[in-house]
Amino acid sequence: MRRLITALVSLSLAGCASQQKPTPAEPAPAPAPATPAAPADAEAFRATAPQPGKPPELVLPVFQKATLDNGLTVLVSTRRELPLVYAGLVFAAGSAQDPVGKPGLADLTYRMLLEGAGTRDTVALDNALGDLGTSAMQDVSPDGSRLGVRVLTRNLDGALALLSDMALRPTFAPKAFERRKKQQLADLVRRLGSPNALGQLVFLSSTFGSTHPYGHSATGTPDSVQSLTLEDVQGFYKKQVGPAAAALVLTGDISLEDAVALARKHLGGWKAPAVPPAAPPAPPASTRQAVYVVPKPGLDQTVMMLGRPAIAAGNPDEFALDLATTVFGGFFGSRLNMNLREDKGYSYGAGAGIDPRLGVGPLSAATSVRADVTGPALGETMKELHGLKSRPITEKELEAAREGLIRAFPGSFETVEGLGSSAAVLFMKRQPLDEYSRTVEGLRTATAAEVQRAAEKYLDPATLQIILVGDPLLIQEQVTPLNLGKLMPVEPDTEPGKPRATR
Amino acid sequence: MKALAAAALVLFGLPALAQATQEAKPLEPGREALAIPYEKYTLPNGLEVILSVDRKLPIVSVNLWYHVGAYHEQPGRTGFAHLFEHMMFQGSRNVADDVHISMLEQLGATDLNGTTSFDRTNYFETVPTHHLETALWMESDRMGFLLDALTPEKLATQKEVVKNERRQGTEAAPYGLAQEEAWHALFPLPHPYHGSVIGSMKDLDAATVDDVKDFFRKWYAPSNATLAVVGDFDVAKTKALIEKYFGSLPSHPKPTKPQVAPVKHTKPVVIRFEERVATLPLLSIQWLTPGYFENGDATADVLATVLGTGKASRLYRRLVLEKQLAQSVTVAQQSQGAQSVFSIDVTARPGVSTDALLKEVDAVLEDVRKNGLTPEEIQRARTRIDTRMLAGLQSIGGFGGKADVLQSYNHFVGEPSYVAQDLARYESVTPEAVKQFTRDTLRPDARVILHAVPAPRKQAPAESKERH
Repeated sequence: MRRLITALVSLSLAGCASQQKPTPAEPAPAPAPATPAAPADAEAFRATAPQPGKPPELVLPVFQKATLDNGLTVLVSTRRELPLVYAGLVFAAGSAQDPVGKPGLADLTYRMLLEGAGTRDTVALDNALGDLGTSAMQDVSPDGSRLGVRVLTRNLDGALALLSDMALRPTFAPKAFERRKKQQLADLVRRLGSPNALGQLVFLSSTFGSTHPYGHSATGTPDSVQSLTLEDVQGFYKKQVGPAAAALVLTGDISLEDAVALARKHLGGWKAPAVPPAAPPAPPASTRQAVYVVPKPGLDQTVMMLGRPAIAAGNPDEFALDLATTVFGGFFGSRLNMNLREDKGYSYGAGAGIDPRLGVGPLSAATSVRADVTGPALGETMKELHGLKSRPITEKELEAAREGLIRAFPGSFETVEGLGSSAAVLFMKRQPLDEYSRTVEGLRTATAAEVQRAAEKYLDPATLQIILVGDPLLIQEQVTPLNLGKLMPVEPDTEPGKPRATR
Repeated sequence: MKALAAAALVLFGLPALAQATQEAKPLEPGREALAIPYEKYTLPNGLEVILSVDRKLPIVSVNLWYHVGAYHEQPGRTGFAHLFEHMMFQGSRNVADDVHISMLEQLGATDLNGTTSFDRTNYFETVPTHHLETALWMESDRMGFLLDALTPEKLATQKEVVKNERRQGTEAAPYGLAQEEAWHALFPLPHPYHGSVIGSMKDLDAATVDDVKDFFRKWYAPSNATLAVVGDFDVAKTKALIEKYFGSLPSHPKPTKPQVAPVKHTKPVVIRFEERVATLPLLSIQWLTPGYFENGDATADVLATVLGTGKASRLYRRLVLEKQLAQSVTVAQQSQGAQSVFSIDVTARPGVSTDALLKEVDAVLEDVRKNGLTPEEIQRARTRIDTRMLAGLQSIGGFGGKADVLQSYNHFVGEPSYVAQDLARYESVTPEAVKQFTRDTLRPDARVILHAVPAPRKQAPAESKERH
């Protein structure tokens, strides 16, 4: 499930040092020789893949928890190798709590926490963090928000003093608010220059519906952000931010005991009435009515996204569906990537995954393909989806996905920031501390029949919305013959004051 | 020279672990955690081996650097080193076509990839400890027997994949083509950094099977590669495995690195580019600066941090907070073997011209040329660099993890544990040195200035007045 975010996001990664992209699950032949070497060859031993030794015990991260008198949750995972600690405040309200008509409010509110706190203005606050060798990492997601730093152990106390100022004593200065809001607005203009960002915007509104709490992007639209006031921000903060709706996450070179003492010192006096929000309601059932086309005339590639609302965290289908999606598009060696990339050369990579949230989260598949093969590439994608029924997941595919996902667990918890973000997810999704053991157990015990049933149910092509960003004429010409539904042009709201997009 | 000592030992029939175990240089108090204990030796065929034990998790990283990158390409063959990197995942004599990544994936590998830069190409995977031998088997098979499985069909498909990668990162990416043009201007032909690492569509089309064969034979010899194994493993058993899988691969002479005269710009190059993908104007100013670890490289790092990291940094503060002309600021010293590139990228607010941004950036630079930085700013930058370095050591593999750190020092200075010396470079950066660097190197007349401005039709309405 953690892989799923990569599917959508990884498309935008590309640096100067180009890289081969391991996309998120799939079938692959077991280690076996391709062509047996000639006998009597001194190198003949190479023809046989080595036999693995005894598997090491699976090491999963351990999370510990305490609760302060004011309701603040303290989550700790100890890792002593290096004198480093990730310290983060996690807030239970996220962009799903944006009031109707005010998408972008949670994002703007949390970003204001860095624009002055306690006795410091923006610059003084940033310099104070700089003196500790760090900058604040911030992120706002549908189910919550995080504000954190990674510091040397010796700087932890100082960092917590700053974090508590930001969470408890934000200044919300009017001048800083006006500036921050303008910056958010300009950032929306910037994001809408990216074909992937455009696609994601339409993906959310077309799969969840634009009035559903998960149906908009955390950053909002130019229109909605334009309308936000400082009173809105203060109102959101007052309603949603407080110790009973927050957690202090400390991971790395720290014990639970020391963490609790530090939490009491810096956050023990925090009083505020906020409580964690309820899970968003389940979105309406998904049936495709149309293919959404975001026009970008002359674009060299077409961005393709397919998806639907799928499941909430804790749904009994979760692990079977994770395995099914992995076989379909979660690994580099998945059916979808091997077809579009390695067989046809249509794409640099194609992937799929699920994102179970506090409420029902999305399943998505995404790729970018050479513009002139948009039709064939979408056709192959539909073929792979139909193939899940006509060519059921094989035992070999299933076992490869199972073993790969389970064995990759220890490697995903190497850094204190990684541990911190896992702890944050547990808090935001209200999951138990042993969630990762539960996941491993669920992946281990999901039966082939369950996996096949999940594949047919959730990856049913008739239930998936299709979003294409690219040259509209070319799309019209190549996609119409596939008979996937009427092509509906969508121009996302890109400028304040412009009429709203179709949905 | 170290290779010789190793070769001698082999005569005694020992596995070539020749080189005495080296201890990392002692670090100053408070920085002990930055030391990486390691052992380095060379096989008789010239393959360098670096071993470093780290038992925090039952995983092990296998990381191979080939000392060849886009720098070593021939004119008309740009993008070849990277295209070749793709071919390394397509199968070799004993590893079936196209399954390299999926085989490792289904064993639970993480941090599995290959990357190409101008100076080197690397391949890495982190595997559960019991699959170390499989990883070594696979890496040795493609080092020794790639060409046995090479077909024109596989090359044709990967050419298409790479062209898609290029479209994604260049043609269809915000500022992709604009930045490429600036790069070409920075390194005029015949400098080997002229082309992009990803290459041009034309050169990718022109690549042949014979090119792949020649490239492999010339550059992918054991003598031009370094293998690092980092993580939870048994040293003696691993040495024996390395000997088994890599020891008999045939030796070739170590290829010589082409020597190229540095580029010097004596007048500014101004590029005005009509941007088609991005929606906000971008100003990018770039200078050629001293190579990685050369005098001035660390100074440039410190200056980049002070100018562009954090909201209180000089450029962010002036352009984004105070004047509100810019949306974001990125300043970087991109350290490279032959020559580095110092760049300042500023994204404008809607309606703000890049010429207005240039004036502001120049005012900030002029101030540094005159007054240097404050000791507090330099100290803050050093603390950031220290913390970042330590954080990089958390992962044993992957981009910038422990294996990459050992490899990188080894590649550029021949010494895997160079961390003490590396940090010492930053200690010696003074306000005076920064002032001097800004005057001598970041000269107004020795730079490439890129104005990537979206066509007016596509630009969002002005929020402040138009200044074109």
